[in-house]
Amino acid sequence: MTRRRLAVAVLTSALALSACGANDKPQTNADTAAARGGTLRILSDGQTVNYDPAKSSSLAITSLGLVHRRLTAWHNKPGEQAKVVPDLADTGKTTDGGKTWTFTLQEGLKFSDGTPITSEDVKWGVQRSFAPAFSGGLGYHKQLIEGGDTYRGPFEGAELKGIETPDPRTIKFTLVRPYGDWPWVVSTPAFAPVPKGKGAEADYAEHPVASGPYQLAEYQKGVKARLTRNPNWDQAKDQVRAALPDEIVWQLGQDASVISQRLVADAGDDKAAFGSSFVSAAQLAQLANNTSAKERVVTSKSGALAYLALNTEKAPLNNPKVREAFQYAVDKAAFQIASAGTPALAGDVATTLITEGIAGREKFDLYPAQPSGDPEKAKKLLAEAGFPTGLSGLDFVVSKSNNGPDKAQAIQAGLARAGIQTTIRTLDGDAYTEETSGAAAAKFDLTLASWQPDFPSANANIQPLFQSSEIGGGGYNLSRYRNAEVDALIGEAQATVDPAEAGKKWAALDKKILQDSPVVPLIYTRNSFLRGSKVANLFIADFPAYPNYLQVGLSK
Amino acid sequence: MSVSFSPNTSRSLWSTIRSVLRHDRWALAGAVTIGLLALLAVGADLWTAIEGQDPYTYRTEALDKDTGGPAGVLGGVSADHWFGVEPLTGRDLFAIVAHGARTSFLIGLAATAVSVLVGVVLGAAAGYLGGVLDRVVTWTADVLLGFPYLVFMIALAAVVPPGVPRPLLLIAVIGFFGWPSIARIVRSQTLTLRARGFVSAARSLGAGPVHVFRHELLPNLWGPIIVVATLSVPGKIGLEAALSFLGLGIPPPTPSWGRTISLAIDWVGSDPMFLVFPGAALFLATWAFNVLGDGLRDALDPRTAVRS
Amino acid sequence: MRTAKFVGLRLAGAVVVLFLVALSTYAVFYLVPADPALQACGRPCTEQNLALAREFMGFGDPWYRQFLDFAGGVVTGRTFGTGPTAITCEAPCFGYSFQQNTDVITLIGERLPVTFSLALGAAVLWLVTGVGAGVLAAVRRGTGWDRAALAASVAGVSAPVYLVGLLGILLFGFTLDVVPVGGYVDFTTSPVDWAWRLVLPWSVLAFSHAAVYTRLTRAQMLDTLNEDYIRTARSKGLTERKVVGKHALRNVLLPVVTVFGVDLGSLLGGAVITERVFGLPGLGALLIDAVGLRDLPLLLGCTLFAAFLIVTANVVVDLCYGVLDPRARLS
Repeated sequence: MTRRRLAVAVLTSALALSACGANDKPQTNADTAAARGGTLRILSDGQTVNYDPAKSSSLAITSLGLVHRRLTAWHNKPGEQAKVVPDLADTGKTTDGGKTWTFTLQEGLKFSDGTPITSEDVKWGVQRSFAPAFSGGLGYHKQLIEGGDTYRGPFEGAELKGIETPDPRTIKFTLVRPYGDWPWVVSTPAFAPVPKGKGAEADYAEHPVASGPYQLAEYQKGVKARLTRNPNWDQAKDQVRAALPDEIVWQLGQDASVISQRLVADAGDDKAAFGSSFVSAAQLAQLANNTSAKERVVTSKSGALAYLALNTEKAPLNNPKVREAFQYAVDKAAFQIASAGTPALAGDVATTLITEGIAGREKFDLYPAQPSGDPEKAKKLLAEAGFPTGLSGLDFVVSKSNNGPDKAQAIQAGLARAGIQTTIRTLDGDAYTEETSGAAAAKFDLTLASWQPDFPSANANIQPLFQSSEIGGGGYNLSRYRNAEVDALIGEAQATVDPAEAGKKWAALDKKILQDSPVVPLIYTRNSFLRGSKVANLFIADFPAYPNYLQVGLSK
Repeated sequence: MSVSFSPNTSRSLWSTIRSVLRHDRWALAGAVTIGLLALLAVGADLWTAIEGQDPYTYRTEALDKDTGGPAGVLGGVSADHWFGVEPLTGRDLFAIVAHGARTSFLIGLAATAVSVLVGVVLGAAAGYLGGVLDRVVTWTADVLLGFPYLVFMIALAAVVPPGVPRPLLLIAVIGFFGWPSIARIVRSQTLTLRARGFVSAARSLGAGPVHVFRHELLPNLWGPIIVVATLSVPGKIGLEAALSFLGLGIPPPTPSWGRTISLAIDWVGSDPMFLVFPGAALFLATWAFNVLGDGLRDALDPRTAVRS
Repeated sequence: MRTAKFVGLRLAGAVVVLFLVALSTYAVFYLVPADPALQACGRPCTEQNLALAREFMGFGDPWYRQFLDFAGGVVTGRTFGTGPTAITCEAPCFGYSFQQNTDVITLIGERLPVTFSLALGAAVLWLVTGVGAGVLAAVRRGTGWDRAALAASVAGVSAPVYLVGLLGILLFGFTLDVVPVGGYVDFTTSPVDWAWRLVLPWSVLAFSHAAVYTRLTRAQMLDTLNEDYIRTARSKGLTERKVVGKHALRNVLLPVVTVFGVDLGSLLGGAVITERVFGLPGLGALLIDAVGLRDLPLLLGCTLFAAFLIVTANVVVDLCYGVLDPRARLS
């Protein structure tokens, strides 16, 4: 999962914002005010940029959002909690407690080819995401829409039972159970319109019909993608996209360290560029003495929850007391340094499962200790659990990507202080995914992972990681945590339509789950990005830890 | 390319080696360097104990608070940390290099032993027995030499279950892909020897292949074997480092030069010493085996001699 | 007749080797505990999505079946899925990368210019310097030149390419700041930038490879210079330059060409490490990406292509040898 999350990040991510310590300063100031016009460049180490909504797991505020609108969008501002806002449609209505949802599209919306966007096109796009040829994108809707469990896409003539389009501006979803977060789910990529009957070809991503402010004018895999203005997009009907640059050019297949060097040098066209991949600890150290470059680093205030998953199915970690000892044995301070060199760049120590910037989050610490941990207390807990001499031979699997082995060694050294001996096993990305989330029975004892919700709801923080249905078969419940009571409470919280009420339920779950210690929360991982000196209004809100691509512009 | 050797009995072989070390300053320098590095590897625990460090303990207090890189000049070189410390962890770089020498020598020498064993047996058998066996061996060697073996090693590293100790796997794999070049040389030597009188004489007296191999062929093959073995050690040390460099070698935290060098890529601009120390150690090790091997070959194959 | 038979046997052997490489690659990667369909499953991944993805990609079958499908695709082309969403990969189909939505041949074709630029430039450089130094060392045997050439060649043989590369980046890229570090610019975009960005990788590869040529040339040259006909040429009063240049060098080139062919073949097949160090988007980088993402079709394609180049180089070298030295045909 770490790798896959990273790949997503690399493909979809970001821009840099105004100043170093972007969080401490006002987000815009006079000399970096973003103006309309110019060509913005995005430097990416990915070979491709995916503009097929069905196959995308892009966040609502990054690359895909430039070309495709969805039914709803995210309110994304630093210092403010995320909330759902209208995009193509309103934010939805339900009259039966969240089982059926009706959305009304705005009037006069048009595709880039000039044809009107209707509810039929949104339905077609959703149906298309069920086709085996177009799997791979976010699929939170697939198990929820009535009839979705057996549906195989519209290309063989069948229609999805749970979607009705009584008129061109109305779309009604019937779900299999009440689901309070449905307005968030319809902000995911599959709810972007695809003109009815189109998109059967595998390379639709290379010539998609746009609904957003930009259209894909030119695409060369591994080289570049050029976005130009969509003449049929209407600024007045879009409240989340500023669409400042006239053109946006992706430069693909750039080596990450080369990107960082170019942005540090800040010469020529690179002044109007930002890097979409994270700046690594080594790169940050390299520019520590470069005042100009340092000011152009944009670091998020918070980010994905990095955690140590403990396999609750396997002895000795099936003993909650043993797991509790891990809460104290881990050295989170060393983990911060291994991640990014300094705590300020790595991110704050984590004590909760719900991440910052999510509605309903409550801050608490069930296992208070120094950031470097409390090995003595851990030893005591282990002795109480019947392991006075500590533990040995624990299998610690870690993905090779994203500096996984380095971070794992920091954890390993921390645990060793409390007499817990581990053996690190590094795996390539997909082998790692298979071993940790694919296999029905897991061999490992410990693994490092990180999780960033796909939409800004505590539901997306907790359910994928701790519901027992997410064990194996590609699910992300890496701790193999199985608690019937928690499962029931998750179901209950998901069915709650009122966000404030749902938030309370999720916060209670957060505490309840951590009492069982299936995971050790480590840090809320900050991401750092580099921008050129002419890039303006590049900001990162509290959630997610990526710049908002939709608002960025160039200064004069 | 082939190298031809004049046959030697084992006694004159040892005196040749002694004379090489006495007269060839380069070969002597190589031998001394190998000795010193071996001492570093064998006594790694002792040296690091004298220094007061070990390669595993995190010493974040030795890091620059603002960057996570080493505090101080030259990558944090000091009386406490002779080679400085590793960025982001503060682990002692001297300890890492010393224990890394252990990894490199262990894998390099053991893999060479595997290659030599397989190569000599197959090469001698092919050369001496000829026929179908010869064809099979020669052809297999050709195929293996044409294999994109790095790719296979990458794949194998992912396939093999975690229960198999990584050092054994590396030794077996590196050793296996090394036998064809040795078999080729041994085979051509054996062909030459077979044509000579004493081997045919032994055969005509009814000696079996194993007897002929042990008593007639092997003594005359030692010279080329030692030269080829010495010259193939650096390649194997380099290959282990290359695999570790690609993240496929010995798993962390066991130190390995290749892994440290790979980590150092990102730090080249801000902490060059992180590259220089393990890099110098790796270079010295491969260089030393090369010059020693060259010296031995010159002595056994005078045509290429440069230093008279 | 005999030549035709020799060529035919050699080519048939090459095809067999390629088939074995493909077969073993398939088998090895099938054993990897990874499911390529997980990549296409999406999030959240359900059993049912996984089964659909597997079926569509053709990964549901046993490995030998998949391999036969692959081998068949090379001859007849392949179709994945059915109906309007089917993907066709025309013959010769060496696989289709679902992760990149492109057939493997196209992907390899896109990376080829980078690797070719790297390998050919470096080859010219190392051939010139390596053979030059070898000739010099042989002609001035025992002098400082000879020692210097040999010392440099021992260093070149000893230093791993990534180490030299990193030191080169450190020295010329960062400390002296005379050459750009990393990245690739297409020749058609700017020939000057193209060459300028490749100078360092070329030099590094040349330094490591030239060593072998120096030693080989020197040894071969020393042999040749002792031959009777060279002595005759000398005694006729020909200048040393003429003796070396016209008579001796020609004799040296055969073994050099042999080694050169094999070196170039394996380098074209993927300079994995060099490309990683210098951040060049060539075939080696494609291969490492394919391994990391477990993109089986792409991986198989890259491996086969690398093997193809190596095997081709070997065949060409053998054929040249056969033509130049008729004795080789009989053995």
